[in-house]
Amino acid sequence: MIGKDKIMTLLKSVLGKSKADLTEAVYIGGESGLTRFANSTIHQNVSERNSRVYFRTALGKKIGVAATNSFIKEDLEKALANSVEIAKNQRENPDFPGLPQKQDYPIVNTYFEKTAKFSPIQRAQEAKNIFEKAQKHNLTVAGSFSTGYSEIGVLNSQGVECYQPLTSTYVNLVVMGENSSGYSDQLTRNVDDLKTDELTQTAIQKCLDSKNPQVVEPGEYPVILEPSAVAALVEWMNYIGFGCKSFQEGTSFLANRIGKKIMGDNVTMYDNGPDQSAIAFPFDFEGVPKQKVMLVEKGIAKGVVYDSISAHKESKNSTGHALTPDSSDGGLALNLFIEGGDSSLDKMIKSADKAILITRFHYINGLLDTTNALLTGMTRDGTFWVEDGKIKHGIKNLRFTESMLKAFSNAKQISKERKIVNSWWGDVGCIVAPAMMIDNFKFTGKTEF
Amino acid sequence: MKDRIKEIIDYLKKKKVDYADIRHQKTGLEDIKVKNGNVEALSRNEDQGFGIRVIQNGAWGFAASSITSADEMQRVADNAIEIAQASALAKKENVRLTPTEIHQDRYQSQYKIDPFGVPIDKKLGLLLDACAVLQKDPKIKVAESSMNFFKTDKIFASTEGTFIEQSMLESGGGIMATAVDGSEVQRRSFPSSFRGDYASRGYEFVEELKLVENAEKTREEAIELLSAPPLPEMETTIIIAGNQLALQVHESCGHPTELDRVLGTEISLAGGSFMTIDKLNQLKYGSDKVTIVADATIPGGLGSFGYDDEGVKAQRAYLVKNGLFVGYQTSRETAAVLKQQSNGTMRAEGWNRIPLIRMTNINLEPGEWELEDLIKDTQDGFFLDTNKSWSIDDKRLNFQFGVEAVWEIKNGKLGKMYKNGVYTGITPQFWNGCDAVCNRKHWRIWGLPNCGKGEPMQTMHVAHGTSPARFRNVKVGVSK
Repeated sequence: MIGKDKIMTLLKSVLGKSKADLTEAVYIGGESGLTRFANSTIHQNVSERNSRVYFRTALGKKIGVAATNSFIKEDLEKALANSVEIAKNQRENPDFPGLPQKQDYPIVNTYFEKTAKFSPIQRAQEAKNIFEKAQKHNLTVAGSFSTGYSEIGVLNSQGVECYQPLTSTYVNLVVMGENSSGYSDQLTRNVDDLKTDELTQTAIQKCLDSKNPQVVEPGEYPVILEPSAVAALVEWMNYIGFGCKSFQEGTSFLANRIGKKIMGDNVTMYDNGPDQSAIAFPFDFEGVPKQKVMLVEKGIAKGVVYDSISAHKESKNSTGHALTPDSSDGGLALNLFIEGGDSSLDKMIKSADKAILITRFHYINGLLDTTNALLTGMTRDGTFWVEDGKIKHGIKNLRFTESMLKAFSNAKQISKERKIVNSWWGDVGCIVAPAMMIDNFKFTGKTEF
Repeated sequence: MKDRIKEIIDYLKKKKVDYADIRHQKTGLEDIKVKNGNVEALSRNEDQGFGIRVIQNGAWGFAASSITSADEMQRVADNAIEIAQASALAKKENVRLTPTEIHQDRYQSQYKIDPFGVPIDKKLGLLLDACAVLQKDPKIKVAESSMNFFKTDKIFASTEGTFIEQSMLESGGGIMATAVDGSEVQRRSFPSSFRGDYASRGYEFVEELKLVENAEKTREEAIELLSAPPLPEMETTIIIAGNQLALQVHESCGHPTELDRVLGTEISLAGGSFMTIDKLNQLKYGSDKVTIVADATIPGGLGSFGYDDEGVKAQRAYLVKNGLFVGYQTSRETAAVLKQQSNGTMRAEGWNRIPLIRMTNINLEPGEWELEDLIKDTQDGFFLDTNKSWSIDDKRLNFQFGVEAVWEIKNGKLGKMYKNGVYTGITPQFWNGCDAVCNRKHWRIWGLPNCGKGEPMQTMHVAHGTSPARFRNVKVGVSK
């Protein structure tokens, strides 16, 4: 770890030389390791030490951005000068409200020493244990086990100064049989919280239970979605609809629908960065504290998340959801929560006459019709036929093509228990998702395995 | 840096590793994006560092750092050895690499105009002009134009004696118009979707795209789509434009012929492949009109280079020949399984990532048809243009693609426009339904700068040479 003092001292010294009207520096750095395995052998095992500093400078309303992955003073000064040079050649951005002012931040604990120092040998030993458990059933394992730490800091000429050290660890397992597979995974900041034995057993059991899968024809079925499957749908909904850009441009399924009923009464989705029950993070990449933002409340469309430029367009304040300065995607919800209900996965299965139980989805795409949140994707690694309240057998994988507005209007049961699910945005966020039972979920195709 | 790299190779040899290589990479990026007349993104990003790959005790280790001091390089070398020793705790067999030629060489991609030397004002001017044409009708709610440039300098050295320097320059650009009417949203892109087309060339490539000249047609087609009927559900004949066929080749031939996927090493994330080793030289992948090659030697392709990131020289290899599945994209480790030589497809996103088997230029070889004649020869069907969405199962069999625009073909003529075009199929059935491919006049290489694979995720620049082709008995219009 470089540490707060060293990072902030160097950045302050570089910012002091800025010739811009306004200057911002964002530091992201750290060290991570990832052990990857397949066929029950480690085939990739990597370690990385890296950092990146973004400079955003403004001359009036002309903005320039430059970045470097060197943390040497001369290189930082060069990147800063580059940013100013770009700003000089820029056009004015009428929506630029200036840089955020000094802020107060919630205190959240996101760093665990043991995770930061977890070694490749420790990861390899855990992997070996997992392989041996699967071997007892003549099954093999693929997956990965990552550990690492990061440091994130934001500093600007208006008084913003924030720093957060964080750790994360993630394990995902795909247990492979002759004609079936089973999946499990876990994301946490603290390596002591990992339950690798439980994960291994879950993936093994799913693989065993889904062997010799039978064919189910495409059509509309009730589905029981495990939390990873629910989170994968919401992850795409976030990308196409929960951010301010798509909302303002009219391509979001929330555009022109705020205050209107778009999902069932039992569906509530929100973003809450500082919530320590998940992968918390207190501020965004402009140094604005993350606020709790209701996206959908009891089925009613409530709002979207903002960075400062997009918020200014609507005469609003940023909600603390800016991405790194090189991004032009506006705000994005990185700490998503789907509220739990009063059911459980077990109750859903027991209550089903006929249903399809889905462990997770593969290769979802949500660009077909974004205003209706129409998504398509495949099931994988544990898809089951449920009948008369019991899991009967595995089934071959299916393609769904479905509007999420329709699907989440048909959510009949939601589990109380929720899972922290890994997402595209790595160690600054996650999706906290329950299991859901949804009626009339449309499958439009099937595959051969 | 060259001397320091040679010192580290000597250090690794003294440590008696089974094998090691070091790759130093320096990359410069420029990203410019204009939206609705405002410059939304204008940034430059510099990145450099090195990664060391080691085989010790028969297992792999890799460590990387952005700090390039002599002390740090030695620490990273030791770390890579420690990681390899950890990997060996859970190995089944020793890693074997197929032999390769030793090279001392330098490669430079060809270009006329260095985009990093072109004044920002000139680049912004072009993008603002294109955006202004897109914005001429208020139905266009979002008008976008963009350019991206990449400059990469690599040094690769191995304990076997290879020492290669490569310098590559890549350029790309495109425009997109999004028309909105209430809850109806339609878009058209040029020359392709998701920020256009890319090549391993200079600024001259962006100028040749003629973004301003093509903005009016792009705008008008986006508006026309708003009132077009949705493509009905049916089984029919389709002609797929080259820019969409590029992604079809990518997803349904490029990925499943990566031998690391076939051997299971990508199972947990991207998945496996239906093109298993028992099907090699047996599977009738497509009709006899279908020949697909992996060719890293074509000048200007986004998947072109001198040497891959294992120091293997760029090659051209058949994957599918006249419909028969005949080959894989391989690495030194995976080729050994087939008792073959590597065909040089190992590439890493950057210094901090290990190389994986990545597509080069995966090309559907041109056929003999003029596009005009092919349309004339089609009684009933549809012409599908420009990718909008993509999805495929984890063995690359069941796919579904959405396209931006569809035109009816009736009695050999293009007719009315349809929106929300979707087609779906099972890979070998689909390619066996291909009965015509257009000729070299209609063939071009499409650059895709966003192919994802691996953990940690790596985004790779790849390309696909295609010309329009016709497919029989395809399911379309299954989106709702």
